Amino acid sequence: MFPSLRPPRSAPLLRLSSLALALLIALAACTGAAATPSTLAPASSSASPSLASTAVPSATLAPTPTTASAFPTTVTDDEGTAVSIPAEPHTIVSLTPATTETLFALGVGEQIKGKGEDVFLYPPQAGTVPDVATFNSVDVEKIVALAPDVVFAGGNFFTPPDAITKLRSLGLPVVVLYAPSVDAVYKDIGLIGQVAGRPAEATAMVERIRSEFANVKAAVAALPKPRVFYELDATGAIYGPADKSFLAEMIELAGAVPITTGSAQKYDISVERLIAQDPEVILMADAPFGVTAAQVAARPGWKVMTAVKNDDIRPIDDQTVTRPGPRLFLGLELLARTIHPEAAIPSATPIPPVP
Amino acid sequence: MTTDGGTLVSARPATGRIGRTRRRPILLAGFGLIGLAVLVAFGVAMGSVAIAPLDTLAIVCHRLFGIDLGRSWSAASETIVWDLRVPRVLMSMVVGTALAVAGATFQGLLRNPLADPYVLGTASGAALGAAIAVLLPVRFVILGFGLLQGLAFVGALASIYAVYRLSRIGGLSPLTSLLLTGYAVGSLLAAGLAMAMYLSGTALRQIFSYLLGGFDTASWPQLAATLPLVAIGCVLILLRARSLNGLLLGEEAAVHLGIDVPRERAILLALASLVTAAAVAVSGLIGFVGLVVPHVVRLIVGPSARLVLPLSALGGALLLAFADVIARSAGEIPVGIVTALIGAPFFIVLLRRARTGYEL
Repeated sequence: MFPSLRPPRSAPLLRLSSLALALLIALAACTGAAATPSTLAPASSSASPSLASTAVPSATLAPTPTTASAFPTTVTDDEGTAVSIPAEPHTIVSLTPATTETLFALGVGEQIKGKGEDVFLYPPQAGTVPDVATFNSVDVEKIVALAPDVVFAGGNFFTPPDAITKLRSLGLPVVVLYAPSVDAVYKDIGLIGQVAGRPAEATAMVERIRSEFANVKAAVAALPKPRVFYELDATGAIYGPADKSFLAEMIELAGAVPITTGSAQKYDISVERLIAQDPEVILMADAPFGVTAAQVAARPGWKVMTAVKNDDIRPIDDQTVTRPGPRLFLGLELLARTIHPEAAIPSATPIPPVP
Repeated sequence: MTTDGGTLVSARPATGRIGRTRRRPILLAGFGLIGLAVLVAFGVAMGSVAIAPLDTLAIVCHRLFGIDLGRSWSAASETIVWDLRVPRVLMSMVVGTALAVAGATFQGLLRNPLADPYVLGTASGAALGAAIAVLLPVRFVILGFGLLQGLAFVGALASIYAVYRLSRIGGLSPLTSLLLTGYAVGSLLAAGLAMAMYLSGTALRQIFSYLLGGFDTASWPQLAATLPLVAIGCVLILLRARSLNGLLLGEEAAVHLGIDVPRERAILLALASLVTAAAVAVSGLIGFVGLVVPHVVRLIVGPSARLVLPLSALGGALLLAFADVIARSAGEIPVGIVTALIGAPFFIVLLRRARTGYEL
């Protein structure tokens, strides 16, 4: 009755779906638990030398202790959206682990009534806050039911943009945060402090991180800078830091030369490029997933790399390295110590407990 | 077709069956409408936040009829019920209708049982449009529509227009040419989509969720823009059921019936594409509904487009609304996964029980 043609549709789409799945799984390392180290920083962040000059309006940096008089306030979030916060928030929803951690460290953890899923659950008190978003989706209904005074969301697609649009269309103030650089982390902490009514605490936190960063910088200043490849995942393609990414900046600050993918938009690196760049140290951020130095050394072609010859393949727990929150300096110290095991990297004093 | 043939050949033993077959569509429609009502109730009462059924009822009555049932509820509950759940349930039905009617039209038009609304490259076009929108650093929302929905709509229509124009060149028969051109253009666009996805980095998740389809973004303004497009498109297709029946018989037979084949084919193609584009723009690529619902309807009531089209509209709404309720209760999994998961086994059972002689 009909021509014996087999219609075609499913073939290309199916193939695409599997491609997408593969990419998704591979990218999970960069986009998942940690906030995303990727793509180019907005021009402003590199142009802003300090927190005080650009990030936070001067009013909130006044030396007076925090008072409610800072509200109502309007902030500009990392996507350039102006968000009005009419009064000091009592109910906060935090959709990124880094923001949750920052809010707890600022002393407003009690106000967080809903949070985005976090596999590490830091600080431990965050475990009692109900999840209103998973890595995959945002439960808009649950957020609306909490009637939050402010919602912190992750930029650069960490929180699905559709969900952000939806929440805003329902009249909820949504502050989108995305820090593509260390300077932007400082700015974000200031922003969170301003929105949460804790600007002085935020300033102190930024100062703390800055001084710890300066200590590490001084400690590694005179050391040779090895070429470091920071391996995020190599189950399929090999994933590492993109050019100009947050992760690449951290590796630089830790006193090393990062081997990057060669593009700010690319997250995978070919073995050829890796061999040509010849890493002197390989850091396995995928070690918690069972990758061992022996496996890395046994990969075809890898034995020519200096790091493999000298057995400088080291595991690293990248939770603090890639999470742009109050513990970032611990991440930098960990990086520096792992890259320069023989050097004396100053240990930071532990973070004081949340008041 | 089959039904008419049956009456002529073996009038007597068939009367009972024909009689039943005649009544069947009305019964089906009745059950379908009841099913829809049940699904609306379920869809609005259910969600990740528990709201008392009486509160839900009171909110709907209040917003819909201005009746006060003497209950009080929080503003958050009202937003959840009225601004999130109700438009979402209705949107799933509108999209289900659109896909099923478009699927039935494409199957008849191309005389191919494997045709669905995406067969002529619409899916790849819409997906590429969506991917480009995701990658462009522009954000705006008008009437609940962002750049993504806009470019998906344009991409779907542009791809089918390209397929139609390209297929008219050359000496192949129009149907063969359409299908093959659709495949070629679809593959080309799919390659573009793959490239966009490869370069999308963290945006990949958003593109991927578009490919799987869903109703997360459903809102009243979106519904207000989509419903008229789908409704008008479907009604216009329905008014051409006779042409579709004629085309199903083959080009020659259709000409003998006095049908202007190229014109009718172009009009039906345009209408079905418009309806498809309106659906995929708001919901992403939801597979299976457009392929299977028309077949199920045909298996039950026979091939006449006059019955297949309206019942497919109903069936599509039912299947997709049901799938969305399941998807939501299973923790917001993409609805496209659910449609195939519940639709495919059902379809296989139906095919196995089908009497011989089922044809498009």
